[in-house]
Amino acid sequence: MRFLPVVLAVARKDVRAELRGRELLPALAQFVVLALVIANFAFDLDLVQGPRLSPGILWLVLVFAGLVAFGRAFAGEKETGSLEAMLLTPAGPTAIFAGKALAAAILLAACEAVLLPAMAVFLGSPISPLVVVTVLLATIGMAALGCLFAALAAQTRARELLLPVLALPLWVPFVVVGSRAVQVAMAGHSLMPLPLAGQPLLILVDFDILFLVVASLAARFVLDD
Amino acid sequence: MEAVRARGLVQRFGRHVAVGPLDLALPVRGRLAVLGGNGAGKTTLLRVLATVARPADGRLELLGLDAGRQRERIRGRLGYLGHQTGLYPALTALENLEFFATLHGLGRRDAEAALVLVRLASAARRRVEQLSRGQQQRLALARAVLHRPELLVLDEPDASLDGEGRGLLAGLFDGRTVVMATHDAALARELCDRAMLLKAGRDAGNPWTLRVVGGD
Repeated sequence: MRFLPVVLAVARKDVRAELRGRELLPALAQFVVLALVIANFAFDLDLVQGPRLSPGILWLVLVFAGLVAFGRAFAGEKETGSLEAMLLTPAGPTAIFAGKALAAAILLAACEAVLLPAMAVFLGSPISPLVVVTVLLATIGMAALGCLFAALAAQTRARELLLPVLALPLWVPFVVVGSRAVQVAMAGHSLMPLPLAGQPLLILVDFDILFLVVASLAARFVLDD
Repeated sequence: MEAVRARGLVQRFGRHVAVGPLDLALPVRGRLAVLGGNGAGKTTLLRVLATVARPADGRLELLGLDAGRQRERIRGRLGYLGHQTGLYPALTALENLEFFATLHGLGRRDAEAALVLVRLASAARRRVEQLSRGQQQRLALARAVLHRPELLVLDEPDASLDGEGRGLLAGLFDGRTVVMATHDAALARELCDRAMLLKAGRDAGNPWTLRVVGGD
């Protein structure tokens, strides 16, 4: 069975179902805007403090939006029995998992398309291409891990509780490195003076590769056993 | 040759034995009806036979292959329909079948052919959520036979089907080995050539030769 056609078919199916059903994206967009409004009032932000606190607020909102986005990735499939139906084809659990993770990453990226402009409006955050690239790189690894744990959590009754407990500790590296890159970018500095080994974008790429490989290897056991 | 061969098959949930120990032998193109009351273990047995769940103990061969070690090879030759339809409500009937056709390495023509088989061609562009429960069941049957499996494992395939829908089942079973759980003894007699009565997960014999008191 060819890997890529299955990955694309699963991702296309998820995105299409979401665009038709409109269950997740409107809720995520609303959550993002509300979180920024709350942050605005809670921190009593002005034009000086807003950009300074932006990196922290960005990652907080992104992490919780990710929990919502990835939490739905397998819960719906489990409820309708369609996960079983997919696994009973010769497609292979790894390809199915990769397709689900790709779709979840696309949906989170759509959420980020609302988040970043909203941050510029509400907090006066300077959004540069470097900020966008950093967030997108973190999204890849977060999606791989988030979907793996979502698949695991979907098999338990307490999935809403289990997913944050499993995913948040392993997302910390993305938050630490991503925050650093976003802080530098929002301060208007370049990443070039940093040593090669300390380049946040390279570290994020390393994390992405590591977690994509680990999640792909574990997916078979999580989904099918 | 036997299409299904089980020896000492057991399935447990914690310490509760849901099925077994059970021996089973079904020849190629044989049709077995699994009958029994609620909680008798029919669904659990069918999930094991469909390779959805691994048995806790015993040996299971499907289509001459070891169900534990050669699951992927079996799955391409097996069609399963459980209690849930396994369909995507927001997608159309054709989109659902096209999706599963892709996972089987098949194309749009196979999806369209399966729709014709269950007489849902006119509903091809309707979303699953707009179909009646009976039409959804037919579509789920189309999904189960889309890839022309040799072995069909069906858990109450007649659920929500009208007379015409039930009439389709005989056509879908044609030339295939079938294991089917049902509460409808008359339908089982009509479609199957042998039967097994499950009681507390154990084979209680052939209900067509037993005098069953208080059973379904």
